[in-house]
Amino acid sequence: MITIDKLCYHSKLRYENAGEKFAFAIITLIICVMSRSIAVAGIVLLTTGILTVFKGGIPVSRYLHFLMLPLTFLILSTLAIVFNVKDAPLDLFAVSIGDWYLTASKEALFYALQLIATALSAVSCLYFLSFTTPMTDILEVLRKLHCPKLLIELMLLIYRFIFLLLTIASAISTSQDSRLGNKDYKTSLKSFAALGSVLMIRAVSRSNKLYDAMESRCYDGTLHVLSETQPPKKPVIIGIALFDILLLIFAVWRRFFS
Amino acid sequence: MNHDIILKADDLYFSYDDDKTHSLNGLSLEIKRGSKVAFMGANGSGKSTFFLCCNGIHKPAKGTLYYNGKPVSYDKKGLLELRSKVGIVFQDPDNQLFSASVYQEISFGILNLGVSEEQAKKEVEQVIDYLEITPFRHKPTHALSGGQKKQVSIADILVMHPEVIILDEPAAALDPKHTAMVNHIVDQMTEQGITVLMATHDVNYAYEWADEIMLFHEGKVLMHGTPKEVFSSHDVLKKTNLEPPAVLELFRRLTKKGILSSSLPLPKNLKTLEKYIEDIKL
Repeated sequence: MITIDKLCYHSKLRYENAGEKFAFAIITLIICVMSRSIAVAGIVLLTTGILTVFKGGIPVSRYLHFLMLPLTFLILSTLAIVFNVKDAPLDLFAVSIGDWYLTASKEALFYALQLIATALSAVSCLYFLSFTTPMTDILEVLRKLHCPKLLIELMLLIYRFIFLLLTIASAISTSQDSRLGNKDYKTSLKSFAALGSVLMIRAVSRSNKLYDAMESRCYDGTLHVLSETQPPKKPVIIGIALFDILLLIFAVWRRFFS
Repeated sequence: MNHDIILKADDLYFSYDDDKTHSLNGLSLEIKRGSKVAFMGANGSGKSTFFLCCNGIHKPAKGTLYYNGKPVSYDKKGLLELRSKVGIVFQDPDNQLFSASVYQEISFGILNLGVSEEQAKKEVEQVIDYLEITPFRHKPTHALSGGQKKQVSIADILVMHPEVIILDEPAAALDPKHTAMVNHIVDQMTEQGITVLMATHDVNYAYEWADEIMLFHEGKVLMHGTPKEVFSSHDVLKKTNLEPPAVLELFRRLTKKGILSSSLPLPKNLKTLEKYIEDIKL
C-alpha cells in the first residue's frame, strides 16, 4: 500500500484532472462487473494496464507484481467452485476416491474463469485510479460528488495518520530490535504487545495535540481547505466517453446477441 | 493603558490535571509590540503552556491575559479574534500538519478567517513563493524532510498574517541549513513588524537575536531583561541550569586577564568581540 502511494505521486498521469480518472475507473469497473464477460474483462485489463504502465510510467514488473496479489487469492478461492466431491462423475474430469469422485464440470470451470477475469479486471480499474491519483485528489472528487463532509474529513485525517503511526511503529520496532526485543518467539510476542499498547497511547496523545494545533488556527469544526484542480481536457473526456460507450455496447452484444 | 504592550499576563495560574502542581504558577509578564522575545528555561518550566494560553487553547484557572490592553474573552468570537492575531508554530510539525497535501494544509488557517477562496488562493501562492516551498509543494507531507515540514508549518501561520508569532523551539531537530533558513525567516517577520516570541535553548542565538529574555522557572518568570542583563547575572543562570553565551564568557575572561579593557561595552556578538581583539595594540 505504501508502495502504491509512493508510485502514484510519481505517475505521469498525476496532474491529469482527477475527475476524469475517477470517472474512467468507476464507469469501466461497473461495466466490467455487470457484463461478467471474459472478452470485456480482457479488453479492460489490457486498457488499464497500458494506461497505468505506459501512460503513467509505472514499472511493468511492479504492476504485474501488484496484479499477482489478487490473482493468487482469486485462484485459491475459486478452487472450491471448480472442484466437487460427488457420487457421479461430471463432464470435465473425474478421479475416483473409493465410492466417490473428485470431479469438475466444464460449466463450473468456465464460470470460475469468468469470475477470475471479471474480478481481476475490476481490480485493475482500481489500480489504475490508485496508481495515478493521490488520495487527496480522490477526496476532492468525492467532495464534488457531495459525499458527506464528515466522511471526507475522516478520510483526510486517517490518511495522514496512517503514515504518522506507521513511522512511529517502525521506529519503536527498530528500537525494540536493537535491544534484542525480538530474540525469540516469546520476547517477540511481548514486544509486539508492548508496541500495540504504546501505539494506542501515542495515537491518542497525537490526536489531542493535532486538535490543539488546529484549534489555534481557528478550527471551527469543519475543515476548510483549498484544492488544486487541473482543468479537465475535452479530448480526454471524449476519449473516455467513447471508450466506455463502445465497451458498453460490446458488453450488451456479448450478453444478448452472441 | 500603554499601547506599546501587545500582550500582558497578570498572575496566571494553570494546571493540567490536579490543583497541587501548577504548570503556570502566578506568571506575570508584558510583551512589547514589535519586539523579539526569547523564552528560556528548563523543560517543563511552563513555556509551552504559556504559549497555549496566549492563543486561548488553555484557559488560565486564575489570572488575566490581556491582548492589546483588553482582557481576553473566551467566548467563540473572542477566541477567534485572539487566534487570528496570535499564531503558534508548534515544535513538532507532525503535530501540526493534518493534511497530506501541502497546499490544503497551508490554506486551512486563512480559510478559517472567513477570507474568500479567491483571496485565500492568492495568499497561499504568495506564502508558498515567499518561503520557497515551490520545489516540494506537490509532495505529500509524509514524504517531506524535517526542515521542509518546518517550512510548511511556518507557512501555515504566516499566511494568516498574525500580529504575534510564537515559535516553540523552531530549530529543534533541524540541520544547520534549515536552522539558518528559519532564523532568516524570523528576522523578516520582525522587519514586517510582527512581534516574535521564541522558545529556545540556544543561549548563543538568544543572546544575539533577542531584544528581551524571559527566563522561566517553575511556572513563573524568574527574570526578564535585555540579554546582557540576564546573561550577566550568574546566580539566575545557575538556578536555571543555563550556561552564559560563549561570547560573554570569552569577553569576561579576556578582561579579567587584562587583555581587553573592562570599560568596553559588552559585545553583542562574536564579530564585535573579534573587532575588540583586532584593535588591541601590542
